[in-house]
Amino acid sequence: MKLSRRTFFKLGGAAGAMTIAAAPRAVGASPTAIPGAGMKAVLVDTTKCAGCRACEAACAEANRLAEPAMAGDERVFTTRRVTDQRTFTVVNRFERGGADTRFVKRQCMHCVEPACASACLARALDKTPSGPVVYHPERCLGCRYCMVACPFDVPKYEYESASPFVRKCTFCAERQVKGLEPACTSACPTGALTFGTRAALLDEAKRRIYDRDSKYVPHIYGEEEAGGTSWMYISDRPLDELGFKGGVPTVAYSSLAQPALAAVPFIITLWPPLLMGLYSFSQRRAQAEAEADAHEEVPHA
Amino acid sequence: MRSSAQTMTPQASWFSEKILMGLTPRAYVRSLFTPFDLIAGLILAVGIPVIIYRFAFGLGAATNLTQETPWGIWIGFDMLCGVALAAGGFSIASTVYIFGLKDFHPIVRPAVLTAFLGYLFAVLGLMCDLGRPWNLPIPMIYSFGTTSVMFEVGWCVMLYTTVLALEFSPALFEWLGIGEGIRRLIVKATIGLTVAAVLLSTLHQSSLGALFLMAPTKIHPLWYSPFIPAYFFISAIGAGLSMVIVESSLSHRAFQGRADHEVNLDRVAIGLARAAAVVLFAYFFLKLQGVADGGHWALLATPMGYWFLFEVLGFVLVPSLLFAHGARTRNTRLIKWTAAWTVLGAVVNRLNVSVIAFNWNIEHHYVPSWMEVVTTLTLVTTGVLCFRWTVNRMPILRELPQYRDEH
Amino acid sequence: MIPHDILTLYDAKAFEYVIALLFLALFIPFWQYLSGEARPALQPAVQAARRKPARPLTELVEWFRMAPDAFYHPGHAWARAATDGRVALGVDDFAQKLVGRLKAVELPAVGTRLSLGEPAWRLRVDGKAVEMLSPVDGVVTDVNPMVVASPALANADPYGEGWLVKVDAPRFPAHRRTLLSGRLARSWIEDATNALRLRMSPEVGLALQDGGMPVDGIAHALDPDRWDVIASEFLLTQGNETPATGERR
Repeated sequence: MKLSRRTFFKLGGAAGAMTIAAAPRAVGASPTAIPGAGMKAVLVDTTKCAGCRACEAACAEANRLAEPAMAGDERVFTTRRVTDQRTFTVVNRFERGGADTRFVKRQCMHCVEPACASACLARALDKTPSGPVVYHPERCLGCRYCMVACPFDVPKYEYESASPFVRKCTFCAERQVKGLEPACTSACPTGALTFGTRAALLDEAKRRIYDRDSKYVPHIYGEEEAGGTSWMYISDRPLDELGFKGGVPTVAYSSLAQPALAAVPFIITLWPPLLMGLYSFSQRRAQAEAEADAHEEVPHA
Repeated sequence: MRSSAQTMTPQASWFSEKILMGLTPRAYVRSLFTPFDLIAGLILAVGIPVIIYRFAFGLGAATNLTQETPWGIWIGFDMLCGVALAAGGFSIASTVYIFGLKDFHPIVRPAVLTAFLGYLFAVLGLMCDLGRPWNLPIPMIYSFGTTSVMFEVGWCVMLYTTVLALEFSPALFEWLGIGEGIRRLIVKATIGLTVAAVLLSTLHQSSLGALFLMAPTKIHPLWYSPFIPAYFFISAIGAGLSMVIVESSLSHRAFQGRADHEVNLDRVAIGLARAAAVVLFAYFFLKLQGVADGGHWALLATPMGYWFLFEVLGFVLVPSLLFAHGARTRNTRLIKWTAAWTVLGAVVNRLNVSVIAFNWNIEHHYVPSWMEVVTTLTLVTTGVLCFRWTVNRMPILRELPQYRDEH
Repeated sequence: MIPHDILTLYDAKAFEYVIALLFLALFIPFWQYLSGEARPALQPAVQAARRKPARPLTELVEWFRMAPDAFYHPGHAWARAATDGRVALGVDDFAQKLVGRLKAVELPAVGTRLSLGEPAWRLRVDGKAVEMLSPVDGVVTDVNPMVVASPALANADPYGEGWLVKVDAPRFPAHRRTLLSGRLARSWIEDATNALRLRMSPEVGLALQDGGMPVDGIAHALDPDRWDVIASEFLLTQGNETPATGERR
């Protein structure tokens, strides 16, 4: 392919100018917009949780799982439990010297910009516009990238099975579609779980925190963690004492890989002209050398 | 393969010529009783049942993977190292066909074969690791997770393995003596295939690194950086060039009867060493930049920090200087040993990011199970056996007389 | 991902620039070191030869390489004027492939007088030996020590490093016209190849077609027990008959 040097530089210059001119995308919306404002969410008020584990029982029934371990037995709280492939939600107890016992329900946080869904190459884990992060088992390859990506280590894998799936809380998406509340929030007798829209629940949380006689710690876990989650927690105890991971970045996890991915179309566009230019250049050089050699050659005796 | 006494059989079949290399079946089987073959046989005898066991009883029965460490050596070594070390394919192809350095032409075919087998067995390792590998067509055909780096990796690896197969196929056609039309077409498309190879390799070598961008809290800060994609790509070049040096020196010793005698491997090795020296030198400084960018200087004084320094100094800076010295003094022995060390360094780096520095601080850190190790060993051994089978029969290290004038 | 605050960011960014400048400063001496040669620079002629893309010094005729500037004796020895005024002699690629990997080479001592068409040296493989005829009249002045030490060098590079002896042959420029070269040499090798083909079983022929040379030599592949007889026929050191046509030379 004959490509004059001038043409090559013209093309290269144009490509370069376009790259610079591309305005950086404004990250995030306007400062007053709340991520996932209209999405369904739950506010968990740990000061009201009595540790009755009715939510666990309701979840197991709604999802056709086995009965929660050691139902009705207080000794279940002696170990710190995490969700697993058969248990989508757990309640843990946190004591501080006898008094001041707090119970904390954990499950999938249903992030506004979920890491797992953005990591899933087959959209088996998928964010629905109404809020829940749902799972389509028929699409799953079992690569377990969602497990690597989730900052809260929520997705659990059925390692014991020869036909394994990812298992986690689905926010009772099928019930929500029918206009019902999730099983756990309907079962909660103390009002520790409040189901609503994210914006409204954030307002409610702030109201409780900034109330005049409030004992709440001024932090809503899930307001900004991982870019904002649908399940949000407030407490009168520092949240890292209640088993919550500190230091979760406040960026939306779905944006972490985007700069790298954005480079892909650029590379696809730039590499061929660049490489063909180098090819032409090296061809020209080899040609010039061959011509020079032809002039140099002295006939053999 | 040794050609022992060739007894003349009355009918010479295609099978006995092409597959048994002109030996009688008995002579061929006898020629397989070398120490290497016996060890390989042992590994396969244990490994194949293990792989069957893994599929019959699931990942939990065969691996030490946990809910907190979902990725083990099948991803960390088989997939990541397999792909990184196969980077020699596009490096040499571009050196010869794009940059026009014809001196390296004799090592294009072995490098492409190494790359092709490397990717093939990386994908096989992935099949062992996936929980539902039969669903592989789904993100290829109808459910596209376009926000996922894994999606891009999957597509790129699939396309690139295809490109490698195409780049390898002329050797196959020359051996079989059929398909001359297709072969010619592919040879004509060499430049296009090489451009595609460089493009796809850039994309997925860096994307394999970009996968880990999603785990900022789980990877040790000294290894986590927004520059991981660039790190993976550049270190892949260094690793690929080193792997080509190692592979070509081992091949030419093991396959002497099958190789063209005129190839001056020493000159090739020195040229590769120069390139690797420069790449590793730049990569070292890029790693420093990463530490500066994250402001993690204080972490260098921790145990993981020492391990990081060992990786970056011992496996990057030192090889860079050794390659430079070896190239300058034409010390091919030093170059070959440095190349082997650099290959090890690439493996260490990939394992660090994916397995060692990943969740380095949890209570029960992941350690591979013996079955995972055996599976990996089996796949590597099978890859080497395939390499040997191919080189013994097809024009990889030598040129067939009738095609010599093409290059 | 630890977010920087602007106060630490000043230092961090400054340090990055410092590292980059350090790299540039160190890269220049590094490149120079890398590109230098520890041994004295090669002579211009050799460097010019290296610059050229690999131009084959030999050309391929059928399965065998031939050096275009060599003169061949029908017994498959070659002669070529060397730079020091002497004539270098060696075995050609046909002979080397015919007998296979050499175990030893018995070369004439310095001072021996060689006669055109008379036995000059012996090639030893596997306990048996075959002789080859000298292509020139001359007195041996040099014996290649590298070939004596590792005879396989004559297999690996029969026209280059694998030369066998050098002779003083003052009438070589005149006599070489009686030797085969150029087009004649090529068709001679083609004939020899056909002669080989006629003797071959299908398997060996197919294997050679693939370019894979039997390590033990073509003669060995034709007849493992009488390979030396076959080889001597082609090298003209047995019975003085040319193999294919049976003509007397």
